[in-house]
Amino acid sequence: MSRYSSVFKDESKLDINYVPPNLLHRKLQLNLLNQFFRFAVENPGRMTQRALIMGNIGTGKTVLSQHFGLNLVKEAKQRNINLNYVHINCRECKGSLFMILQRTIMKFYPNFPRRGYSAEELLQALMQILDEKDAYLILTLDELESLVNNEGSDPLYNLSRIQEDRINAPKRLSLICILRQPEHLENLDPSTRSTLQRNIIQLENYSESQLEDILNDRVNLSFRDGTVPAQTLLLIAELGNSERGNARYSIELLWLAGKYADALEMREVTPECVRNAVASVYPVVRKDMIPEFSLHEKLFLLGVARHFKQTDSAYVSMGDAEEAYALVCEEYGETSRGHTQLWKYVKALSTAGIIETMVSGVGQRGKTTLIGLPRVPASDLEQEIVKILSQEGR
Amino acid sequence: MAIEDVFSSKGRVKILRILAEIGELNISEIARRAGLNYSTTNQHLQALENHKLVRHKTFGRIRIFRYNEENPRAKMIRQLIEFWEETK
Repeated sequence: MSRYSSVFKDESKLDINYVPPNLLHRKLQLNLLNQFFRFAVENPGRMTQRALIMGNIGTGKTVLSQHFGLNLVKEAKQRNINLNYVHINCRECKGSLFMILQRTIMKFYPNFPRRGYSAEELLQALMQILDEKDAYLILTLDELESLVNNEGSDPLYNLSRIQEDRINAPKRLSLICILRQPEHLENLDPSTRSTLQRNIIQLENYSESQLEDILNDRVNLSFRDGTVPAQTLLLIAELGNSERGNARYSIELLWLAGKYADALEMREVTPECVRNAVASVYPVVRKDMIPEFSLHEKLFLLGVARHFKQTDSAYVSMGDAEEAYALVCEEYGETSRGHTQLWKYVKALSTAGIIETMVSGVGQRGKTTLIGLPRVPASDLEQEIVKILSQEGR
Repeated sequence: MAIEDVFSSKGRVKILRILAEIGELNISEIARRAGLNYSTTNQHLQALENHKLVRHKTFGRIRIFRYNEENPRAKMIRQLIEFWEETK
């Protein structure tokens, strides 16, 4: 039996959902959030608030919001205020207000029925539950673009409106919206947009030295002493910086480099482990996204990946992508969806950042949408989707 | 309701057992778990509610039933159910 002991002491501290006790280089933004929502612990019920957090991938939007929420709830508890913080990822809810509200209500009633009513009824039920429990709620809508793309302005309008309709009742529901690309705000109606834009927290990309601090903090929490040399850390910070200061990517890289060190039974995580890890982490595209796509989104993506595997072109036209998708559908015994539905898939996949789209210009007859796969090798993507499909019994 | 009215009905005992275990559920889910149809479940729940063994909350069209922890009889029945399950 091997006597090798892992370089990790607690790898859960590198998990994507882990909220660290110290939020480095986001103090100002955290203070801002605390100022916006101070009333929730000082004068609950008197007002509600809406705030918008914006920034690129890996700039700490989610962790900032969660860190703030956890601390505020703790403070409210000390003051005997029933304040709840619920963090919902809109993309995981397929951009549906119904699913978002259902998940929110299930935090209060885990066995709340799943079917048989509308989103409006659910919203009323949520307010009733808050009233009955004399509870206040800060609801965070992460990856808001998914909800806006799918349902437009109405959900945010309704979530704001519900309070205005309850004139003399305590104000119980506040919102934090998290958005990656500001252009999605343009899909909102002017009044909803203006209320959201009142309290914006913009997160800039982390610098290399900031990434180094964050990585150092995580190394102390998750690795055994002396297993991650300074040069390894510097290299990861440098790589993270080249990916627009992406902390999420850097932390994922750190974890994977540790895994390589373990697999090779090394005492230290060397720069070579990092280089090995780089080859298997795609910045921006998260592999954990793929299982969440619907079956036909996966099949469409598989068609696109196969097309790129066979050609050297940078873009595929919508027509060619549809043909490739139809072939994949035949292979998996599925009836292929129509053009309009496929167009929706393209929009969803583009919002998720896995494909890029542009409208064809000179040199192409007529006008068509061109689809690109800039961030992930087609063959790797194909392998990943086929693997996931087979895990799903396809 | 006499005690035999509760314990002579397999459906009622099943419903009490489910609610004692799960806490809160809507009628369709209680019916599904008890293997009863909707209207029979509804009738049993009404009878149990009349005797304060269960309670319900209404959210628009949704009714959620829960075990009535505040009622001493319900409390005793829950203890009996738990003891029965433990010593099965």
